[in-house]
Amino acid sequence: MTDERSEDPTVVRFWGTRGTLPVAATARQIKRKIANALFTARDYSFASYFEASRFIDDQLTFAAGATYGGATSCVEIDCGDDAFFICDMGSGLLELGVDASSRCVDGHRKKYNFFLSHMHWDHIMGFPSFLPANDPDAEIVIHACHPDAETALRRQQEDISYPVSFAYWAANIRFVTLVPYQEVEVDGLRVTAMTQDHPYGSFGYRFTDGAGRSVVYSTDSEHKIGEMDREAAFIGFFEGADLVICDTMYSLAETSSTKEDWGHSSNVVAIDLCHQARAKRLALFHHDPFHDDEDIERMHEDSIRYEELTRDGPPLEVLCAYDGLEVPL
Amino acid sequence: MDVSYVLTDEALVVAPVGRIDEASWEEFGSKLTSGLEQASAQSRGTLVIDLSGVDYMSSRGLRVLTVARQRGSAAGVAIRLAAPNDVMREILAISRYDRLFDVDDEAPHEGSAS
Repeated sequence: MTDERSEDPTVVRFWGTRGTLPVAATARQIKRKIANALFTARDYSFASYFEASRFIDDQLTFAAGATYGGATSCVEIDCGDDAFFICDMGSGLLELGVDASSRCVDGHRKKYNFFLSHMHWDHIMGFPSFLPANDPDAEIVIHACHPDAETALRRQQEDISYPVSFAYWAANIRFVTLVPYQEVEVDGLRVTAMTQDHPYGSFGYRFTDGAGRSVVYSTDSEHKIGEMDREAAFIGFFEGADLVICDTMYSLAETSSTKEDWGHSSNVVAIDLCHQARAKRLALFHHDPFHDDEDIERMHEDSIRYEELTRDGPPLEVLCAYDGLEVPL
Repeated sequence: MDVSYVLTDEALVVAPVGRIDEASWEEFGSKLTSGLEQASAQSRGTLVIDLSGVDYMSSRGLRVLTVARQRGSAAGVAIRLAAPNDVMREILAISRYDRLFDVDDEAPHEGSAS
């Protein structure tokens, strides 16, 4: 699918969508999905893998026929063959590194631009497993608004925590400290950061490509009940975005009670902000590791319904991010 | 925003009317604060928010409910919700606010015990 503004669409690729801690489906959970699928398909016959695959797409819910995955935050903005753009280094970075290495074999430039929301463990834990870090021909530029980003990355590879030191990596690695609200251009993408509420602070990023398509990455961002006036800044930051990726880890009730001040937000607030900003699409992101696929699917269905109930303008498409999802802008 | 206040034997009932959204949440909050003050002054331990006239409430309105609940807790006034329409009932369920607040099918009437 291509955008009418360009034959080279920018694609947002989700490599890790879980919050806090990586999780994986157990053997029992996989067996239950397969048994349910086989039972549902008992009156069908399939002449090919394609037909079976189509049955899964058409007849099973997403939670029944697939999984949202369990890798932590890592999102790629693929603008073509020039450079890689990667938001956060959660455990999803492992798979991205494998895939990127193979794309580089096919000629992709070995330039990796990272943009870090913050330094909490689930957002940096993937870097020690990032294969290109050990490629002497790779250039890795780590952008962050936290001036202590380098300290955090080196510290997680100290020998008390990890067997391989950060100094071991063969790639050319450098750090760039960004200033919130000061737009910079990085390999053809315009990038602006904004401050967010989260313990120790976090930063959202807005990326705009040469064709004017924009994506906002806003995770680990709490919209506190006592500071609703501050939301005007987020509405401005999300304004007209083609895709807004939002932290929707908890229900609104949880963020207002038992999980207040934990630094996260809800599907309901994300939809309200995107409605006001006239954003085109919202991706629900940073899923609670305590939630299984059915829980996340229910949250997605609830979100679509809330968007319908509260819509006061153009429709907002509500996606639910999963590991492997690709969204062309 | 039109809001009425009715005193019953055991509660003060506040009944807002219309949409509670980005344009009206601050006024809604002021009305609830006033209701809490009236309930406390009239020695009522419960503030009932009659939602029968509320078309819809965004997350800001819902969060105003939380702020009111926190203030009410400090003042010894409990908050209950009552008579939501079908849309409001869905919004309360989606936001899980039906787990934070007691939700009654009907609001108490003047002179009635709540």
